[in-house]
Amino acid sequence: MNGTAERAENDMTTPMLEIKNLHVRVEDQDILKGVDLTLNRGEMHAIMGRNGSGKSTLSYVLAGKEDYEVTEGEILFEGENLLEMEPDERAAAGVFLAFQYPIEIPGVSTMTFLKAAMNAQRKARGESELSTPEFMKAVKDASGLLEFKQDMLKRALNVGFSGGEKKRAEILQMALLAPKLCILDETDSGLDIDALKVVAEGVNKLRGPDRTMLIITHYQRLLNYIVPDIVHVFSDGRVVETGDKSLALELEAKGYADYESTDAA
Amino acid sequence: MNVQTPIRLTAAEESLAAQLESVGAGDAAVRFREAGLPTRRVEAYHYTDLKVLLSEVPPLAEAVAGTGAPVFDIPGAYRIVVANGVMQNAGTAPAGVITGKVGGSTLTMRDDTVVRLNSALVKEAVNIELAGSVDPVIHIDRRTDGDAAHVATGSKITVAPGARATVIETVATSDAGHMGNLGTYVALGEGAEVTHIVVDLSATQATQFSTLEYRIDANAKLMSIVIQAGANLARAQIFANFVGEGAHGDFFGLNLIDTDQHRDITLDVTHGVPNTTSTELFKQIGRGHGKGVFQGKITVAKDAQKTDAKMMSQGLMLSEGAEILTKPELVIFADDVVCGHGATCGDLDETWMFYLMSRGIPKAEAETILIRAFLEEIVDAVEDEALGEALSGIVDGWLAQGA
Ligand SMILES: Nc1ncnc2c1ncn2[C@@H]1O[C@H](COP(=O)(O)OP(=O)(O)OP(=O)(O)O)[C@@H](O)[C@H]1O
Ligand SMILES: [Mg+2]
Repeated sequence: MNGTAERAENDMTTPMLEIKNLHVRVEDQDILKGVDLTLNRGEMHAIMGRNGSGKSTLSYVLAGKEDYEVTEGEILFEGENLLEMEPDERAAAGVFLAFQYPIEIPGVSTMTFLKAAMNAQRKARGESELSTPEFMKAVKDASGLLEFKQDMLKRALNVGFSGGEKKRAEILQMALLAPKLCILDETDSGLDIDALKVVAEGVNKLRGPDRTMLIITHYQRLLNYIVPDIVHVFSDGRVVETGDKSLALELEAKGYADYESTDAA
Repeated sequence: MNVQTPIRLTAAEESLAAQLESVGAGDAAVRFREAGLPTRRVEAYHYTDLKVLLSEVPPLAEAVAGTGAPVFDIPGAYRIVVANGVMQNAGTAPAGVITGKVGGSTLTMRDDTVVRLNSALVKEAVNIELAGSVDPVIHIDRRTDGDAAHVATGSKITVAPGARATVIETVATSDAGHMGNLGTYVALGEGAEVTHIVVDLSATQATQFSTLEYRIDANAKLMSIVIQAGANLARAQIFANFVGEGAHGDFFGLNLIDTDQHRDITLDVTHGVPNTTSTELFKQIGRGHGKGVFQGKITVAKDAQKTDAKMMSQGLMLSEGAEILTKPELVIFADDVVCGHGATCGDLDETWMFYLMSRGIPKAEAETILIRAFLEEIVDAVEDEALGEALSGIVDGWLAQGA
């Protein structure tokens, strides 16, 4: 993929992400049943929905996890077929998923991992590798912003990190990798009230006209800090309602009962 | 097992018997002709049937002058070169080290074919006496040059009470079907602290046997590391005896196995006295059709109360054809002890791979990161920085070969 002049022209109008009638099956079970979603450049979207409605499944499919069978529909990232790309290619193209449950990897230091990730993406984009001082400065700045303890970087990736520390580490990675599409899967769960503010500030700093965010959450509280442009309600593998930020407040008050009938249909 | 009728010897067995006769080890030759090489019916060789695996035995080595740079360079180390089994001029020993030769094998006799061959065939062994603490790493650099040869060698390392030292023995060969039989005896005096590392880097046509014997006295601390990264057929045997209270041993090992190679580490630790502790961590990584074997036996004697021993074996299989076998065994005669073992075996964790790749790290690089992480635990245990780096280099070299 190279950014030709033709593409650049399209860029202004092509949505960042288009999901069309996406059906996904996991182990003989239909989980996503026709998701339609369009995210434009610079927009902040929130997805809310019951446990088990398929929100994380959607985020994994976007990031390219194996074992998900797309039975129908398509996903376009900046107009390109995302489903044909390997997870590392998607990352290099600008897709980032902050995991609901970040993975612990013993024996790989967080620092080594961050450097490998940053340099791999730079390499994929034809840029030169970061020098050690450049890398260290980037890490120091991002850690400062997110109040992430520097000495944790020497430890094995996510191993023994507290729930909140893991979430913070995800956003640290996001800040360093500067993706175009940020998918945050329940980043707020596990964070204490102060940490929530710090992380929200970090996320808000990353907002920009060229960056699109998709925030999955159960709580309106996060949306007080990270104010979405558009809110979607997810139910039984589909988007069943779309509105502005007031929809989140409505959900907080009434719950998902109104969408039950839709599920049964 | 009694052998009634004379067995039919393979060509390799005939060569070995003739070699024993040629060095005047008549009794050993007679015994060998009766029993032959151990087969799978001998428990200790169940997974490493030497009668099947050893098809050829090269002639006994001729002495050659050892020249050239070490295959494995450790900056700042005191190096003793042993070429085709013969110790070369070692240069000036650092303070605390007395280097010399000792006649014959250094191993304690036991009912084991590899040990018996070593005992009969070793003419002279390196003798190192460590009187006090020694700063530089001591490197016994063994190489076999020239045409395929059978080389039996040995070392005796005696560490005085309270002394600290790090000794590494490396085995390297020219590109030929050599056969090596190394026997090393390490005695740790009271309170001594020793790191002893044995690395096999023989050519991939070679066969290498290594037997390490440890005698660990009271309050001593041993770290033993075996890395088998060479040879087509390799077997390391580790026999450790705790003979004084308060001692601790860490036994680490690594089999790096490729193509059709066979690597075996057989460990036999005896806690013979009360209040001794040990950890055993053995890792194997296989690709191609490589076969790795780890047999780990811990024996706790009746009087050895308060023994604490934890054994772990981990295997990583990078190909469908790779095979990793593990046989842990705890034999406990005392009642107040903490002993355990665990084993894991599998391929690279898919969720780990996905996590790394989801951050933009390509598949091959993600694999390398995870393999290195798997092996790092053992390499990381080494305190000396230059030595640790040298060991990492072996791992990296092995990884690069497969790429
Ligand atoms: N590998 C799998 N095998 C079987 N079922 C699966 C698998 N992965 C997901 N599912 C099922 O798919 C459904 C959707 O799961 P998903 O994790 O996407 O829900 P979610 O909306 O993220 O829920 P939560 O709010 O609790 O995080 C669940 O019923 C879950 O059990
Ligand atoms: Mg979820």
